[in-house]
Amino acid sequence: MVLPSYLLFLFVFAFPIVLAVILSLSDFGGGKMFGGEPWKITGFQEYRKLFADPYFWNALKNNIYIVLISVLGQLPLGFLFAYLIYRKIVKFGSFWQGILYVPAIISTIVIGIMWSIIFSPYGPIADLANRLYRSLYSAKLSELFSSAGALSVTDNLVDKIIGISPQTIGAIFSSPRVELKDFLLSYSPDQLIMVQQDLVNLLAPKWSAEFLSQRDLAMIPICFVTLWMWTGTYLILFHANMQKIDIQILEAAEIDGASEMQVMRFVVVPSLSGVILNATILCISGSLSGFALILAMTGGGPARVTQVLSIYMYDSAFMGAPNYPLANAIAIMIVLFSLALILIMFALEKRFGGKE
Amino acid sequence: MESQYRRNQRTRPSAVIGRILAYAVMGLFSFITIYPLVWLFLSSFKTTNEFRMNMLGLPSAWTLDNYVGAWRIGEFGRLIGNSVFYTVGATAGIIFFSLRTGFAFAKIKSKATPLLYGSLILGILLTIQSLMVPLFLEVTMLDRLLGDFLRTLGLFKGGEFRLFHNTRLGVLLVYIGSALPVGIYLATGYVRSIPDAVIEAAQLDGAGYSRVFRTIIVPMSVPIAMTLAILNIPSLWNEFALINILVSNTGLKSLPLGIYRFSGALSSDYGKQFAALVIGMLPMILFYVGFRKKITAGVAAGALKG
Repeated sequence: MVLPSYLLFLFVFAFPIVLAVILSLSDFGGGKMFGGEPWKITGFQEYRKLFADPYFWNALKNNIYIVLISVLGQLPLGFLFAYLIYRKIVKFGSFWQGILYVPAIISTIVIGIMWSIIFSPYGPIADLANRLYRSLYSAKLSELFSSAGALSVTDNLVDKIIGISPQTIGAIFSSPRVELKDFLLSYSPDQLIMVQQDLVNLLAPKWSAEFLSQRDLAMIPICFVTLWMWTGTYLILFHANMQKIDIQILEAAEIDGASEMQVMRFVVVPSLSGVILNATILCISGSLSGFALILAMTGGGPARVTQVLSIYMYDSAFMGAPNYPLANAIAIMIVLFSLALILIMFALEKRFGGKE
Repeated sequence: MESQYRRNQRTRPSAVIGRILAYAVMGLFSFITIYPLVWLFLSSFKTTNEFRMNMLGLPSAWTLDNYVGAWRIGEFGRLIGNSVFYTVGATAGIIFFSLRTGFAFAKIKSKATPLLYGSLILGILLTIQSLMVPLFLEVTMLDRLLGDFLRTLGLFKGGEFRLFHNTRLGVLLVYIGSALPVGIYLATGYVRSIPDAVIEAAQLDGAGYSRVFRTIIVPMSVPIAMTLAILNIPSLWNEFALINILVSNTGLKSLPLGIYRFSGALSSDYGKQFAALVIGMLPMILFYVGFRKKITAGVAAGALKG
């Protein structure tokens, strides 16, 4: 009765791990495993290459960001929301739970594409920001022109316009003072409104998502979406387990005059310590292997700045010339990292955790 | 029944401020959660031009043009059919194998149980996406090996032999296998709670293990089977990383895979793109609306053990 299941388990988990270990130590170049091009075990050279590879460290760092936002963001927020609902500090608990769980039920691919459009330079965030910039700029312009009366082009006015558009003026005019003055003189004095509109179009600052192509900062949207997706799951998980807390302990604490903080600290958190540990493990192994969200949002780009280990592994194996030994070495590293983190969690729980 | 003390505590000014703050945080987070999805839905009715002009407002007309176009280009009929097949097939397989194995672990005494059970449970800690490269190599190599073997026996002629890679069977096997550690863990715990006396009575009547399984364990395990189904259906339906490497044949693609390809091909046609995304999320939203209580209960039960 056990055999078919166990064979499936070996097929999906055990054998791939063994294969990954072997191939990561080899010079296997694709092709046939037996009877094709010969390959041999060559040792730890792929691991050595990995450790010397800046992209590997960058990917690992990005993974750590995701682990951090998950463990320090999703879990505490999920716990806080669960607690607010459990203690009836906010009413309509079922309603909030129903909403916050929605992202977890939707395909990660759909979510990733949706947010990549939202954050894109042509998306609604950029659109909103540009509208804001334009209206601010237009207000500043009106102020300048109203103090000048009708359109009378003076050096003073030109200087002031240059003064309120520091970011854009250099990109439009090479010698702003002369060219802008000529530009203004090309309008007749009664075209005041038109001038203002044209100036807004020309010189209002544009929202740029340049920060999204910088190392570290580029991970912000991905971390945000990670938080957005999974907080509801931990809310559900924690709330369900809070229901199991013995109500008499809570009442006793209240009669003793415990504050809300004390109830949380001394009653609720200790009774949930096992669940918190499980949730943390879930969270860590999920964030280390997370793949689809980043593939759909950025594909690891621009210029590999948002690459995580799983994307790096995928690219090494399936993009361009395959490097299977390297990809397998990364797979092994992912497995080792998650095991190490999970072991650390167990140790911490032993050391500081409450009794169940 | 609230104590006088608690009532007093709730009406203190600091407590009132705390509650307002709590509602504000909860409301804000819920708004951030739901608004992008509403926005996506509204945008799916706009033409690409309309979207460029008016990103946040209501669409000017509630036309289904985007949906019709997206459905035709993306061949969503076939994608959804495939997704239903994978989800239903794998769910059935997960339930069947989990229950059988759970029954064996819980009720049949064997010296091998601790070792087998322990190693299976270790699988809970591993996320199988991190093994996608070796898994891909495994299925392609097995196909080649089997193909060569059958060819030398003269049983197979033709080009490429496919059993695991680019086949529905391969997808199902990987999906079932990857969900088995959690499934078996839950099923074993559940079957353990069925009293031994029931089983022993049946055995006294001369029933073997497989008859006990069919006539006693299966009927009594409907609740855990439901939990397994509810737990696995959304994750199977939405699965991407594994099927992405297991299948390259267009005819075998699932919905998330199709949407990913679609988005690459039509990245500038926002209207159809949004319609495709809504098509992608709608089935699971409906599933969620229908089974919400069961889903959240299943999450709590399944993840607790994770």
